[in-house]
Amino acid sequence: MAADPIHQFQITKLVDFGQVNLPLIGKTDLAFTNSHLAMTIAFLVIVIFLSIVTSNMKVVPGRTQAVGEQLFSMIDNLGDSIIGPEGKKLFPFVFTVFSFILAMNILGLMLTFTVTSQLAITATFAIMTIGLVLIIGFVRNGLGFFKLFVPSGVPIVLLPVIVLIEFVSFLLRPVTLALRLFGNMLGGHVALKVFAGFVVALGALAAGGGFGLLGIPGAGLSLAMVVALTALEFLVAFLQAFVFAVLTCIYLNDVVNLGHGH
Amino acid sequence: MAGPQIETVAHAPTAERAAETDATNLGKPTTESTEQASSGLPQFQFQHWPGQIAYLVVLFAILYVLMSRVFAPRIRKIFDEREKTIGGAIASAKAVQAEAAAQAQAARQALADARASAQKTAADAKAKAQAEAKARQDELEAELSTRLGAAETSIRAARDAAMSNVSAVASDTALAIVEKLTGAPATGEQVSAALANLQG
Repeated sequence: MAADPIHQFQITKLVDFGQVNLPLIGKTDLAFTNSHLAMTIAFLVIVIFLSIVTSNMKVVPGRTQAVGEQLFSMIDNLGDSIIGPEGKKLFPFVFTVFSFILAMNILGLMLTFTVTSQLAITATFAIMTIGLVLIIGFVRNGLGFFKLFVPSGVPIVLLPVIVLIEFVSFLLRPVTLALRLFGNMLGGHVALKVFAGFVVALGALAAGGGFGLLGIPGAGLSLAMVVALTALEFLVAFLQAFVFAVLTCIYLNDVVNLGHGH
Repeated sequence: MAGPQIETVAHAPTAERAAETDATNLGKPTTESTEQASSGLPQFQFQHWPGQIAYLVVLFAILYVLMSRVFAPRIRKIFDEREKTIGGAIASAKAVQAEAAAQAQAARQALADARASAQKTAADAKAKAQAEAKARQDELEAELSTRLGAAETSIRAARDAAMSNVSAVASDTALAIVEKLTGAPATGEQVSAALANLQG
């Protein structure tokens, strides 16, 4: 049913490679789905855009170069201000996360499928981020990584409680990272679909004539809502990508500058 | 043995949800009944997860490599170049400014020198003129004083001469007076002695 607001999240197989039996995971459908297609488009958009931006760089930038540089320096400054001098090394990761999520969010508003409204995708991003945090934490600090859960200057009496809270909040970080992005994209697209559905349904009511004509202002209002929500969704698309990048920087800063705030 | 277990765990909730929704949506036709095992959120159809995750990880890895090896260095390079260009421009501007300041200082110095030398020339000319005037004045004064001395000498000579004439005149007069009074001429020695008496 086209009016079903959930239908847009349905994964459909475009090219089916049949089932394979993978170790650990078990039987898995191997297929190129609409999700894969949207991811590929997002990937290509980023690569092509950055190729154009960086192919013929000038000291005095043109328009395209200025846009690319703006995005670049925004994340670069973010890394610098949150992580400090070490931020330069982690910049590629943060910028990859940011640009990939941003491209997926924006393309979701233009294509029929939003990759970032798939929990599998947002969870993967979150786990990659926290995985990097854990790797850097243990490589740089060894077992000193666990100092992350022991804030300095806490009275000894409160320490067990604080450590427990810190530990649980650390465990919840990937969950919140994944759910925040997933929930925002899911909610926004469902709302868009619902209001768009109202336009059609009320229009059909009006077509019947009589009292049904009252549906016309309702349909107009719904259409206005769709336009307004689309504008809002563009903001959300950018904001969520940015929030993800900021949180990634903050979590990385915790382990990069462990025990000595800069 | 872990694989099948995970699969059953993953499918259990979706199957339950399917049963619930089937119960509530009685008789409603489902167009995607072949695609969709459940009518809950499609995001929880876990059979689609591994494919998406694997593909995302692969794309992410490629993108990360491209970012760190190609795009970030390129942009960073142009940033550095820009910084260098701006820094160079500022430095050269500062150099030009310093040079201009030095030249202005030199010009001011030259002006001051010229003024000082002009003042010196003027002072010299004035001093020279004064010296010349003084010399001429001295000369004139000397000449005047010599003339004055000569005049004084001649006056003194004239007076002395006159004074000597006076005694001759006096003796003559005395002789004439004595002759007139007494009728007898007096001798010159007598008159001279009398005059010497008067003068002494």
